[in-house]
Amino acid sequence: MSSNIERCYQCGQCTSVCPMGEQEQTYRIRRFLQMEKLGLETEESMMVPFIFYCTTCYRCQDNCPQDVNLVDAVLAIREKAVHKGKMLEAHKKVGQMLVNYGHAVPTNADAMEKRVHLGLDKRPPTVQASIEGLSEIKTLLRLTGFDELVAESKPVEHVESAAMMHQTCFTQQQVVEEGA
Amino acid sequence: MSNLSLFLGCVAPNRYPGIEAATKKTFSKLGIELDDLEGASCCPAPGVFRSFDKVTWLTLASRNIALSEEMDDDVLTICNGCYSTLKEADHELKSDADLKKDVNEKLFETGHEFRGQHDVRHVIEYLYQEIGVEGIRELVTAPLNMRVAVHYGCHLVQPLKEADSRLVSGDITFFDELVEATGATSVDYEDKMMCCGAGGGARAAAHDATLRITEKKLENMADAQVDCIINACPFCHLQFDSGQKDINEGSCTSYGIPVLHYTQLLGLAMGLSPEELGIDLNVTSTSEFIEKINDGSLMA
Repeated sequence: MSSNIERCYQCGQCTSVCPMGEQEQTYRIRRFLQMEKLGLETEESMMVPFIFYCTTCYRCQDNCPQDVNLVDAVLAIREKAVHKGKMLEAHKKVGQMLVNYGHAVPTNADAMEKRVHLGLDKRPPTVQASIEGLSEIKTLLRLTGFDELVAESKPVEHVESAAMMHQTCFTQQQVVEEGA
Repeated sequence: MSNLSLFLGCVAPNRYPGIEAATKKTFSKLGIELDDLEGASCCPAPGVFRSFDKVTWLTLASRNIALSEEMDDDVLTICNGCYSTLKEADHELKSDADLKKDVNEKLFETGHEFRGQHDVRHVIEYLYQEIGVEGIRELVTAPLNMRVAVHYGCHLVQPLKEADSRLVSGDITFFDELVEATGATSVDYEDKMMCCGAGGGARAAAHDATLRITEKKLENMADAQVDCIINACPFCHLQFDSGQKDINEGSCTSYGIPVLHYTQLLGLAMGLSPEELGIDLNVTSTSEFIEKINDGSLMA
């Protein structure tokens, strides 16, 4: 990804016009750029999850006096975080949709009903109507390793099963107590 | 000029199929046949998947373009996000032989090849450049008389800066001109070029904050007393339409501005009914708007 963040001299023109920065005090694109330039990976908690709040509106980039490719820079920081396992759960779910259905937003009963009402095919002529097409998507996502990237991670399962065990123990104890 | 295949993306066919129907019906009236792009997938979304894994983003994008190339077609998108992904991936692959080779090695496993001999078009710039404002005006049989808030959307403008900068240098008016060709008036409003709030995966990551961005835009549109919002992107469409319901529930407001994709507005001006164009299928009620279309008060 083409990045030219070395050109940034921290004037803050980016943050001053950022619509997300206006809504979220934690979203400061100028700070993210400087942290990236300085290689402050130990401060990652100051970046994640906030770096994922960017709407990619390009307002910062349009306003940058140094022609820094800010959006490319944000996307590159995100990609690095994702490959270190810092993907947000909500984004992982969107990724799983792509793996399972070939669409980030797959069809549902309401959409199918509306389609028929409009005289369109119940399923659009995309991978949603093509087993072969969907199998091609799955092959490609396996080749790029994307299916692994968005797979449920094991530690999360452990946490969940630990929580379930706790819940089970609690319930059993409650039953015993109530029984007594 | 090449034939076109219609790239549907995700949100239009799976949430707002009225946009798909309106595109097919208006293009049929224009005398342009749109081929179905059978087996196409998510584009995949530019701010989301490109930032998760760029190789994945390029690979699936190149497959979608390859499917269209196999029919000797250019790709027509009806969504800004799809346009951004397919236009930029197409550009990167055409200008980097090594990257193209890498991606094609993967595509060969599925029997496809990205050749890079076709183009990616967005419906708005296509209509503006290939049919022209006068050409559209000539096809209008039911001229409109309404005040409209045009929302360009970030990913319509940004790819054009690389691809066709004369459309986006200085004052940007190409979309407004197309809207006005229907008889409607494109009303100026504060922060018109501002984002809808949804893009880049922000809708999933920070839903409430994106709605606050949307609310600011809605406030400015409402101040301009518009009859509807016209967009060029099903994802902006979703954010404005379903967003109004979420905002009203959360902030005790009562926004009720009808949201239409340009192809739906054009369909009305070509004499198609609101129901044929799926304008009645929005989350935010359009019944009052439809009544005014039917009783003629929004028609010239």
